Amino acid sequence: MSRPGRPRPGSGISPLVPLGYLVCAAAAFLVASVGIVWLGPELAGHYYHPRLLALTHTVTLGWVTLAIMGASYQLIPIVLERPIWGERLARWQLAILVVAVTGMVAHFHLGSWPGLTAAAGLLAVGIALHLLNVGMSLRGFTRWTFTARLVVLAYGGLALTTVFGLALAVSHVWPFLPGEFFPTLHAHVQLALLGWVAPMILAVTARVYPMFFLAPAPRPWHSFLQLWGLTAGAPAVVLGLLGVPGLLVAGALAMAAAAGAHAAWIYEMAWGRKRPGLDWGLRFVLTATAFLAPAALLGVAMATDRLVGPRVALAYAVVTLGGWISLTIVGMMLKIVPFLVWYRAYSPRAGREPVPTLAQLSWPPAEGLAYLLLTGGVVLLATTALVGEADWIRAAGAVLALGSLAFAAALSRVLGHLYAGAQTWPRTPPICSRWRDV
Amino acid sequence: MMPSEIPAARVYLDVCEVIQRGEEPFARIMAAVNALAADQALVLRVPFEPIPLYKVLGKRGFAHWAECRAADDWSVGFYRDRAPSREEAAAGALARDRTVLDVRGLEPPQPMVRVLEEIDRLGPGAELEVHHDRRPMFLYPQLDERGLIHETDEPEPGLVRILVRRGAA
Repeated sequence: MSRPGRPRPGSGISPLVPLGYLVCAAAAFLVASVGIVWLGPELAGHYYHPRLLALTHTVTLGWVTLAIMGASYQLIPIVLERPIWGERLARWQLAILVVAVTGMVAHFHLGSWPGLTAAAGLLAVGIALHLLNVGMSLRGFTRWTFTARLVVLAYGGLALTTVFGLALAVSHVWPFLPGEFFPTLHAHVQLALLGWVAPMILAVTARVYPMFFLAPAPRPWHSFLQLWGLTAGAPAVVLGLLGVPGLLVAGALAMAAAAGAHAAWIYEMAWGRKRPGLDWGLRFVLTATAFLAPAALLGVAMATDRLVGPRVALAYAVVTLGGWISLTIVGMMLKIVPFLVWYRAYSPRAGREPVPTLAQLSWPPAEGLAYLLLTGGVVLLATTALVGEADWIRAAGAVLALGSLAFAAALSRVLGHLYAGAQTWPRTPPICSRWRDV
Repeated sequence: MMPSEIPAARVYLDVCEVIQRGEEPFARIMAAVNALAADQALVLRVPFEPIPLYKVLGKRGFAHWAECRAADDWSVGFYRDRAPSREEAAAGALARDRTVLDVRGLEPPQPMVRVLEEIDRLGPGAELEVHHDRRPMFLYPQLDERGLIHETDEPEPGLVRILVRRGAA
């Protein structure tokens, strides 16, 4: 019998649950990158356009949020050492979220606000189910580590972002929100980025990057600056946009400090790692971290009115969403998906017969191609978004779309092992030819 | 061929992945050797026969045996080449049927693979003590499915200890 406050060993969620989320997220990523090619002229104009809202929500909900939720069903047991409470609930939640996100994107595209409001209501139900599942999984939790605090902060941010977004949708049909529209819209965007996605990435990376890099966890000052920079910065930025202007600059600087501490830790860890070689997943996450610098600079510049206008805002969105967040998720998925597939296909046979390693499940040429195209595509898209030239934006979108295809191909190869795993795996070839001179 | 007088209590160390990563396994091996009790043997898993190591440890009074399971899969054991004193034997009696497997510092899923491989060799009444970086939440279902009993504790920061034994038939 399990005791309150302690994990219940032996219970585990099927790997197919997080894999379902991650496959849907990857499909949304592919759709969004193809959408950039299609929406080049709109992207050269003002960002508040129904089709661009559809594109944005394909990225933020379909790609980023589904990926984080799927990963959390694998990573919560690892980083917080708690079993997931409801596997069936997680399956239902995915179905609801896929319908809701599809409905929202379609209604944004059509410019139909009543339909959008209904889909947003369904999305809120799906997110509430996720919060319920995570909340029940964390019942009696007592080890409030850096990661645990940031996870709770992130889920608080998700709940607020959802309520805020639903209020925006309802206000389009029955206007009730006070204040100017664009600052309110910006507050919703920043709440999602800084209150939901950023703390979740910082939380999870603090536990899983040391595992991947074979390196130490963040030092106390890294953790302190990340935690308090986010805790103080995200609400300050949102409140600053909503009508307390004095908080905006202070919030932006706090966020920049958190981003700086996060980047400093990652590069310090990468420099002092025990693992000599870097696979493509790790190269992705290191490159993604580099995008924090332009993201923080643009954020502070916009907060202090040194840079203004829709072109800068779009470039900021590309650098943050496409550079830091998306490349981090791509890198993490190249590590997580092989593990889940391996666990499903081969772990029951491990110890009884030869099983492949994770590296043998992966497809490095496709991952390398995805790395070149996606990182190059993001840089190109940020630059062309700043310039506002439709044809160049389309070209950048084409590079990103090809990169997404290479990424999808790499994942498909790994997923194929779910079926190939039924066959006997051949013995691993010799890995080293000589003993080092001791 | 394994000699009959070698100690029953064994500490297992797998350095295949360390070598695969291009790292030097010597320090890790020597740390394990230094931590050996008088009546314990160290069983190394290596991808080839570590002939120079025989000489190094031989100078320190260790005998060895080697078992070639495949061209790239060797189990090599080291044990002190003398009879333990009465006190040493008494102290080691408690650990006779317990083997220790340290999987800290390995990238997932290697810890799980190593544990499951070791469990497959676990005899009746024998115990496996696993030293891990964290509670292995994905390992527990595998242990349950194989009918194994397990207990987890954290004797010190950064060390999670899992004791695994076979359940009653």
